[in-house]
Amino acid sequence: MSTHAAAGAIDHHHDHTTTTGIPNKKLFMWAFLASDCMFFGALISTHLIYRLHQTPNQPDIVGLFSLELTSFSTFILLMSSLLMALAVNACQKGKVAATRKMLLGTIVFGLIFLTCQVYEFSHFVHEKGLTLSSSMFGSTFYTLTGTHGCHVAIGVLWLVLMYIRSFKPADGSPWILKSFVHLAVFALVTVASIKALLGGVHAVQEHGATAQAISTFVHHDLLAIIVTAVGLVGLAFLGRSSKAVEFGEANAIDVESMGLYWHFVDIVWIVIFTAVYLLEYL
Amino acid sequence: MSASTHSAVDASGHGHHEASKFHIFVQLAMILAVITGVEIVLIYIPLAKWLIVTSLVTLSLVKFMLVIFIFMHLKWDKLFCTILFFIGLILAGGTVAALLALFHVEDAKPLTTEDTASIDYVVRSA
Repeated sequence: MSTHAAAGAIDHHHDHTTTTGIPNKKLFMWAFLASDCMFFGALISTHLIYRLHQTPNQPDIVGLFSLELTSFSTFILLMSSLLMALAVNACQKGKVAATRKMLLGTIVFGLIFLTCQVYEFSHFVHEKGLTLSSSMFGSTFYTLTGTHGCHVAIGVLWLVLMYIRSFKPADGSPWILKSFVHLAVFALVTVASIKALLGGVHAVQEHGATAQAISTFVHHDLLAIIVTAVGLVGLAFLGRSSKAVEFGEANAIDVESMGLYWHFVDIVWIVIFTAVYLLEYL
Repeated sequence: MSASTHSAVDASGHGHHEASKFHIFVQLAMILAVITGVEIVLIYIPLAKWLIVTSLVTLSLVKFMLVIFIFMHLKWDKLFCTILFFIGLILAGGTVAALLALFHVEDAKPLTTEDTASIDYVVRSA
């Protein structure tokens, strides 16, 4: 593979072909992230302003939150950042297989974070009665954490597309149709696994860790379990790669730009975790 | 001859740098997890509220800076990237501080149901 031959020749931090000496994709991403800082700054300050003032129909917020769940989500997102950094590192060295593994790990961790958020929102709406319009707290909380969740979802989609991109054959043979099938299977597995996971959690909450919980889970979510299992087999099948691919060290800038976005989502959550969740317990 | 030696040294140096980066990333992830644990424990410690709030904000800031400088490679990239990002960050921080200060004044507090009832009474009387 030509990209492997060039390993060590590319300077990943400087680009002497641009006037700034910075790769254009990286420069664009930093400019975008700077503007996104202001966007989240406005959302966080709106939430804090309404929390500092007494507003009508304010719920019991400490009773509402689950610190265990939020701490777990935070840990998962931090670890996904580690995997993303390792994916960038592997790609810069031209290690395609390692890059794929790290990207898959980041995708899985991102999906776990999203599942936790779906569970949290569903719990708030159905059991605590907190909706977007029930109180000012509901409005600002859902807008802020929901916007962050959308950023995570976009990041997961980008990761999946990059993972599929890493299978582009070097010999120029057609791969677009296979890529669409790959994407469709990913989408199917994502939806089915989140549904199965939430079904499992609800069954355990209802019946405890008993055989009845397993029976209820299998009875209610059989289709989701089957689709997840078949989809995972499909992903393993589509992920087999013996041919040379047109993906390597030269694509490190693409993976790095995506990594910058993913780390940004992580740092926004670092702020939200303290400002929205931890400060409520004081 | 000297050119090839030079490139061999460069390549080994580059390899060593990349290998150490792997360890830096793993160590950083562990540090971030520990800081998060400390933050969670901190809210249960019976200390003055201002002290806990200051500690939480400081710890979050430390996590934030560690991620942007190491995971996001700002430490190894050109200074211009840092300047560009900090322009947005300072504008965002300034907006948060200004909005919090603006809405902290007495007149900015939202009206309660009793307030609106008394205003209605005054308007009707007039």
